[in-house]
Amino acid sequence: MTEIHTMPIAEPVLEVRGLSAGYGKRAVVHEVDLTVRAGEIRVLLGHNGAGKTTLVRSVFGLLRPSAGTVRYRGEDITRRRCADNVKAGIALVPQGHGIFRSLTVRENLELGAYTAHDPAEIRANRDAVMDLFPILRERAGQIAGTMSGGQQQMLAMGMALMHRPDVMILDEPSIGLAPNLVQRVMEAIAEVNRALRMAVLMVEQNVVHALPIAQSVTVLRTGRKIYEGPPEPLGDRQYLMTLF
Amino acid sequence: MEYLAHILVMVCLYGILATSFNLLIGFGGIFALAHATFYASGAYAAGILGTKLGIGFPLTLLAGVVVTAGLGLLVAFPAMRVGSHYLVVITLALQAITIDVLMNSKPLTGGPDGIAGIPPVSLFGTALTSPVTFLPLAAVMAALCCAVAWRLGASPFGRSLRAMRENEAAAQAVGKNLVRMKLVVFAMSAGLASVAGTLIAHYIAFVNPESFTIEETILILAMVILGGMGNLWGSLAGAAILVLLPEGLKFVHVPGDIADMVRQVIYGVVLIVILRLRPEGLFPETVFRTPTGAARSSVPANGPLSSAVERAGGTPGEVVVSATSLSKHFGGIQAVKDLTIDLKRGEIVGLIGPNGAGKTTAFNLLSGFLRPTGGTILYRGRDVTTLKPHEVVAAGLARSFQDLKLFTKLTVVENILVSLPAQPGDRPLDVYVRPGLVRRADRENVARALEIASFVGLLAKADETAANLSYAEEKLLVIARLLATGADVLLLDEPLSGLDTVTVERICGVIRDLARANKAVCIIEHNLEVIRGVCDEIVFIDEGRVLTKGPPDTLMRDRELAERYFG
Amino acid sequence: MDLLIQLTLNGLFNGAHFALLAMGFALIFGTTGVVHFAYGPVYAVGAYAIWALAALVGLPFWLAVLLGIAFTAALGVGCYLFIYRPFEISGSPPFVVLVASLGLFIVMKNLIGIVFGTGVKTVDSVAYDVHFVGNAFFTTVQLGQVAAALLVGCGIALFLRASRYGKAIRAMADNREMATVIGIDTTRLSILVFALGSAVSAVAGALVLLRDGLNPNMGFGAVFVAFVAVIVGGVGSLRGAVIAAFLLAFVQSLGMWQIPTEWQNTIVFVVLFGFLLARPSGIVRRA
Repeated sequence: MTEIHTMPIAEPVLEVRGLSAGYGKRAVVHEVDLTVRAGEIRVLLGHNGAGKTTLVRSVFGLLRPSAGTVRYRGEDITRRRCADNVKAGIALVPQGHGIFRSLTVRENLELGAYTAHDPAEIRANRDAVMDLFPILRERAGQIAGTMSGGQQQMLAMGMALMHRPDVMILDEPSIGLAPNLVQRVMEAIAEVNRALRMAVLMVEQNVVHALPIAQSVTVLRTGRKIYEGPPEPLGDRQYLMTLF
Repeated sequence: MEYLAHILVMVCLYGILATSFNLLIGFGGIFALAHATFYASGAYAAGILGTKLGIGFPLTLLAGVVVTAGLGLLVAFPAMRVGSHYLVVITLALQAITIDVLMNSKPLTGGPDGIAGIPPVSLFGTALTSPVTFLPLAAVMAALCCAVAWRLGASPFGRSLRAMRENEAAAQAVGKNLVRMKLVVFAMSAGLASVAGTLIAHYIAFVNPESFTIEETILILAMVILGGMGNLWGSLAGAAILVLLPEGLKFVHVPGDIADMVRQVIYGVVLIVILRLRPEGLFPETVFRTPTGAARSSVPANGPLSSAVERAGGTPGEVVVSATSLSKHFGGIQAVKDLTIDLKRGEIVGLIGPNGAGKTTAFNLLSGFLRPTGGTILYRGRDVTTLKPHEVVAAGLARSFQDLKLFTKLTVVENILVSLPAQPGDRPLDVYVRPGLVRRADRENVARALEIASFVGLLAKADETAANLSYAEEKLLVIARLLATGADVLLLDEPLSGLDTVTVERICGVIRDLARANKAVCIIEHNLEVIRGVCDEIVFIDEGRVLTKGPPDTLMRDRELAERYFG
Repeated sequence: MDLLIQLTLNGLFNGAHFALLAMGFALIFGTTGVVHFAYGPVYAVGAYAIWALAALVGLPFWLAVLLGIAFTAALGVGCYLFIYRPFEISGSPPFVVLVASLGLFIVMKNLIGIVFGTGVKTVDSVAYDVHFVGNAFFTTVQLGQVAAALLVGCGIALFLRASRYGKAIRAMADNREMATVIGIDTTRLSILVFALGSAVSAVAGALVLLRDGLNPNMGFGAVFVAFVAVIVGGVGSLRGAVIAAFLLAFVQSLGMWQIPTEWQNTIVFVVLFGFLLARPSGIVRRA
């Protein structure tokens, strides 16, 4: 724990400044600043309707923010198309159905590398992903929609990893999973972060399981940032309740 | 003169077709593409009865209306079972089958040649054979049909139709019987269309299948879209424009054999252009809004609880709703198991638990939107487990939705009005038979709706379209709509999420007021601070089961629960 | 017995024709979600173009077919880019796009009539043989329909299964948002499926030109059968659409054993109806 604090501060990968976004006339996120540094896991907490999903969707380009900027490795990527963000090295694992249910596991993985063109590289990445999640190798020929929820979540992450992103954004990977599976998914995320030195921005509501792997935390309430800092103070549940 | 009269007759007939089609798609939001079938039904009824049985005008009209309304009911049944794409296919199929039947039932319909020699209408001893003599009849009939359609569209029933069009689940949740409404609007729309059919048959003395193809339905659709969906006057205008527009062709010497096709091309182009430039049509539906007028000025702003909410009877603390061992599974997933919960008069229960714990499913079970796979729900001792949503509301239990489901194109006051219970104007028969009663009741209802708007602080926005409200105002409107149902038991699904602290305080105040009015209240909420401030009891749900219940302070000090809540 | 053989053969050939039409429509509808009503007239225009190139210009038939297919593909893409896409961009509800497609339907259908007249158009420069099975018979053109359906079907299946774009199309049909998330350009894919689907319909059009000749009304029946086959087959399943197309053709054809010919549409309707009530998700249910 102290180790994290004594480490030299890494370069920011994603820098969000003054971002506001919403649906139609309804603003959901108000002027939020957020930084994800190289190699860190930043967890974005908040209860339902706090604006977490809206925030990460506008960072990724699925939604057009109404104000503010998003920088990736210093370059302004605000309102850029998803396809370009994917090519540049950002991956999103959306909430819920982050896979193609009617396609096989192998096809899903290959589609994850849609923006890549070198077949040898795609194969190498697929092998690496299957090493990381052996279950995907076992089930390579299976129709993705017939797998269990936990396996589908592994596949969704595997797809995101297929084009070797520098930063992976996960939107509530624990949703709809049984507690023991949540634990496994979190371990997998920590493992990906460690093995590939990949920055992770993870939206979560599951504080108990998300905090142990977090290196820094942002808490949103009704679209505004109300906490930013290390995960430790949030271990105090009474304090956490005042934030939620 | 004859030419002009002919054009006007056609405007009258298409006016009838367009207004009746508008009732179905513009008001009811039912996208059935078979209006030419109903038109044909009326025309052939006149043709067959007139030539085969020698029956004359008023009777052919009556027979046509009855048969076609019945046909409308017949179509309505499958139409209610299927979603939008399927409805389009089914009605399209009906359109195709109509042509088949007309072409092939030769002894009856004359096949491709149709029926010629249909006797003209005779009134007061004169046969109406020329356009000039027929025009008065066409005009009177058109006025009559439009009056019938207008009466329905502008009535509380029409308002309910528009609400159903905006959101079916929400319409059910405020007590509307969608099945009945759809049957009525189908039958009315079909019956009115048949009037145009009967008239044209007598007018040109001839019917054949070619006049009733899919193109005819598209033409009538174009008139409705051009005039504006949900605006009956607009449909008249749309009919007039599209009948007159191609007449200009007369002056550019288009060869006769292609004039008809050029006309169709014009219709198609107009349809696409209007959709691009002005999808709401020339005349938006605003004229059909309920006026609040003078009633509004007599209502004080921020009115008291007592004028908006009737105090529920019974003694405080008495159990009103008692759900026992409810369970629900979807396929293999058990969303709710063995859920037992009591709601008491004058008490606020908070339903909390992690995401996916089954809270909203519990609401769906209690409000009749889902039928439990096991367990019973008693409301004041009466078993309501298998009731439909609108029956549950009528019994006295109403719910709101997490995603609001407002009737966005209706005004604030209409959103509330639609939700008021037992309106005489919601009964189509009374709309025509007892107009006085309907008008009086609606005046009272408008006043009541304004009082409710005033209580939640939306009086200033009463005539605003719901779509133009801020998020906070939308949330207030959801509460107002719930109050309007007059239910004793109110289930609120996340009434506070996404709101600023000021509005949260305001809504919390309203919720406390409701308990003070002896209502039983149950809320789903994530904001623990609020839960602690508002609720008398907390029910903690996880994995579809009640884990524990008790007073908020005790529960929130429970470390294990905190772990579960955040995990 | 001869009648039964003849009706079975007819079912097979008609099924092949329906299957071609259904595959084209299913590609477009399944991938983009657009109820492309003008698919019918686009198919008809394509067939008329082939007729014009062969009969008026005097090109060899095979060349006319090739050019006609390319033209039809371009026309389909034009429908998407100039009519449907502007609505997509402005976020119009699906019913608005549907109504626009109905408008496009009557515009194109009547333009055919204005340009080419309402008479039946045939090509007599192509000779073909008549084959007999007992007393039942069929023509080389009808064999061509089956061959074309087989070839196109296998070709599309292979394309969807093995190629990069094919997989992307299946991905988009499965989950459009997720397709965007992994970097698929959905506009480009929509253009591709409109081109492909329209081209497939032109193949059907070329063969129908030889078999029955053309009339301006042919579009409605085509899009009707294709739409019904897609719904009965299960939305999103090409295989289901093909099975349903053959099913409809056989029911129609064998129905004639007892029921007069003219009631074909009615038979289709009854099949559709039975299916929607008994199995609302279609023959092939999606995972």
